[in-house]
Amino acid sequence: MAAWVKGGAADADGAVQAAAAILAAARTPVFAGLNADVAAIRAATHLAGRIGASLDSLGSAGTYADLGALARVGAMTTTPAEVVGRADVVLLVGEAPRGAALVERLNATAPSRGRAAGGPRTLLRLDALSPLPIAVAALRAHARGHLADDHGLLALAKALAGAQYGAVLYDPAELGAAGVEMLQGLVMDLNERTRCFALSLSGADQDRAALQVAAWTTGQAIRVGFGRHVPEHDPWRFDAARLAASGEADAALWLSSRPAEAPAWLAGLPSIALVSGEPDPGMAEVVIAVGEPGAEVGGVLWNEGRAGLSYRAPAAPAARPAAAEILGRIAATLDARKDA
Amino acid sequence: MLIRIQGGRVVDPTAGRDAVGDVWVEDGRIVPPSERKPDRTLDAAGCVVMAGGVEVHSHIAGGNVVTSRLLLPELYVSEAAPEGHPFAHAGGAAGWIGATYARMGYTTAVEPAMPPVHALATQLELADIPLLDRGALTVMGNDDQLLQLLRDGEGKAAVRDLVALNVASSRGLGVKCINAGGASAFKDGALKLSLDDEIPCYGLSTRRIMGALLDAVEEIGVPHPLHVHCNNLGLPGADDSFVATLDAAEGRRIHFAHAQFYAYGAADPANPMTGGFRSAARRIVDAMMENPQASLDIGQVVFGQTVTVSLDILRQFGGRKGAKPKKWVLNAGDAEGGGVVPFLYRPKGPVSSLQWAIGLEIMLLSGDPERTILTTDHPNGGPFTQYPRIIHLLMSKEERDREIAALPAVVGERSELPTLEREYTLSEIAQLTRSGPAKLLGLADRGHLRAGGRADIAVYRDDPDRTAMFTAARYVLKDGHVIVEDGTVVDWRAGRSLALAVESDRAMERRTEDYLQDRYGQGLDSFAVPDAAFAAEGPVFEDVACRG
Repeated sequence: MAAWVKGGAADADGAVQAAAAILAAARTPVFAGLNADVAAIRAATHLAGRIGASLDSLGSAGTYADLGALARVGAMTTTPAEVVGRADVVLLVGEAPRGAALVERLNATAPSRGRAAGGPRTLLRLDALSPLPIAVAALRAHARGHLADDHGLLALAKALAGAQYGAVLYDPAELGAAGVEMLQGLVMDLNERTRCFALSLSGADQDRAALQVAAWTTGQAIRVGFGRHVPEHDPWRFDAARLAASGEADAALWLSSRPAEAPAWLAGLPSIALVSGEPDPGMAEVVIAVGEPGAEVGGVLWNEGRAGLSYRAPAAPAARPAAAEILGRIAATLDARKDA
Repeated sequence: MLIRIQGGRVVDPTAGRDAVGDVWVEDGRIVPPSERKPDRTLDAAGCVVMAGGVEVHSHIAGGNVVTSRLLLPELYVSEAAPEGHPFAHAGGAAGWIGATYARMGYTTAVEPAMPPVHALATQLELADIPLLDRGALTVMGNDDQLLQLLRDGEGKAAVRDLVALNVASSRGLGVKCINAGGASAFKDGALKLSLDDEIPCYGLSTRRIMGALLDAVEEIGVPHPLHVHCNNLGLPGADDSFVATLDAAEGRRIHFAHAQFYAYGAADPANPMTGGFRSAARRIVDAMMENPQASLDIGQVVFGQTVTVSLDILRQFGGRKGAKPKKWVLNAGDAEGGGVVPFLYRPKGPVSSLQWAIGLEIMLLSGDPERTILTTDHPNGGPFTQYPRIIHLLMSKEERDREIAALPAVVGERSELPTLEREYTLSEIAQLTRSGPAKLLGLADRGHLRAGGRADIAVYRDDPDRTAMFTAARYVLKDGHVIVEDGTVVDWRAGRSLALAVESDRAMERRTEDYLQDRYGQGLDSFAVPDAAFAAEGPVFEDVACRG
């Protein structure tokens, strides 16, 4: 096992002991990233629950843009395979969706199921000349007939209203909570006349896996703190970057067994990194190389094409430990210290 | 370890037993009385001893349940964690679900709505529910692969093979259809669907889809009959849909989910959608008595705030404007999708009061409690935590009268409830919550206290306040281990997930692989529920055999 403590190579036990020591000494530790398979996210959540840490995830900007709108107005959504199979009109909102692999597939195919089957598919764009949420609001106003002065928006609104199965694709991180709320309102309005659904494109992170584990484990979304032995959900309070910047966090555990860049703040406090690939031994006080799920070890991951969770067997099994195993060993070490 | 549960009133209607006596337990099973000295004696004097409760229809896991938590995070309150489980008091979460059921003496619970596309997520979530055995029903009836196959006129064997493949790959315990064809029809513009309406683009009807699934379930030998959520849930005149669906089963075994929501006769048949509804409980019960092959669960309404979760997106879309608070989610996902609509059953409101009365009425009119299973369709009619209160109302006419006195007069005008004198006995409660649901699921090892049965046992203090009695058991045993004492969890064991042992046909696997690759660019392996996906130390699943 490849591991480092304070930049120097360490054996597995030494690294686990050092990690446990950091957490044992901390009063308000934060676990961030959660860019890993379900077993690791679950193990991190259980460890956080035991020691009173808080949780945050890699993709929280996008996740909380969607969640903020969800908790205010709800949502009307579909899946990638349904859009490919059914949509005759697809609106791409903003810049981010244009590069999505799904858009390539939409361009290469036509509706094959449902009442639009056999007809063509039109892909439209909503460009952000004004701030994007404002552009979505203006489109909604045109769709409702409150405004009629922008011919471009009027044409988009007519196309969506005339669709048999419309779909609106967006990146929540680009659009923001207010924009997502407006977009969901647009889609709900359109459903007074036809079918139209929103599709939030997920990032390269595992937030959608983490969100499910969080919801069934704590009853809440990801940004939960256990400092008072009650799961408390607070998107502002448990923002890991904010906790690090304000000095409230006194230790951190970065979990990213999938490739991702670690945050710069990690090096600023006693920290543990469980990462795959070839880690920089200086990225945290304790660095442990773990297997990449789906590549080096098996694991359950968010599967964007299916909009669900799938188990992925290791493509090229490696002798690295799974992140969940390391988290389990850290937890056992902490339990043993507590008993001693 | 040999355990003697001593001196309690032992209630087991399957053995005609209702008398003070002992129950003996060894190695996880109920055993005949022993001459040997027990290793442990549980004093049950003044207590009632029953088999562990069995839940057949409670939304405790899956994508919709997750969404409901995110939509309405304020629905549950979390409390400080007890020793032994960090999340047992996290309101609405898996740990809380397991602990709350166990405290009530329930030891098995089934999630009734697992879409095959999200089987792994549902099974992972179920596996995190402690203390209980759990299972899930595989939902079919709106997926394009099945509908295509029916449209193309393929025979019974093909449908059987596709259903078997879906049950096997999702590791389901049974099969359910939810407003069959309704989600598909909704995506193609329909806003209402009855038994013989045409499903756009497929030329099918609910009758044909459900009929095909009824046959498939029999051919595979699934112990649990097809679990049916009919068309037109909650609408005045839904009793017609219920009776028509029962007729359409043509004598085949069928289970009706949350029947209370269909026992709504149109009060003004000339204007069914505007004239409101009156109780059709007697019509439903009479139809059930004529069809001994049919069963139902109630979906009892409970006053207060809840959130409705359903894969019936047609119905949820129709009900969106009644959302309270005013926010809702409709996910038109692959096949079924789902809808989550918060709802307030207004305390003392005329509509909710009548709904409340109708559920009780069905149970009180029923001539066969074993086929009349207590559920609230958690959380759709209200939370399962209200079972003790519902049992109290069934067992006490006086308690019912007290509650009815505070409700609007419509309860007496549009239902028979105030005139019903019946009081359930403990044996009948055991039929409603133990032997009935266990038989319905085909789980012969539970729901009773006969020798050889699984030692899932609840011991309650006999208390005229039945609400208190059934809320916090004196003892609960799971597989022969005491997991609850005086309403407190004392042993955080994990149960198993019950999955039907069914083989899938190789030719259908190849066909399905091609279908899925074409649709998702991914094959069967991305839908699988392999043991390797679970972090647990011991085995997660336990096989349940098909009918011979």
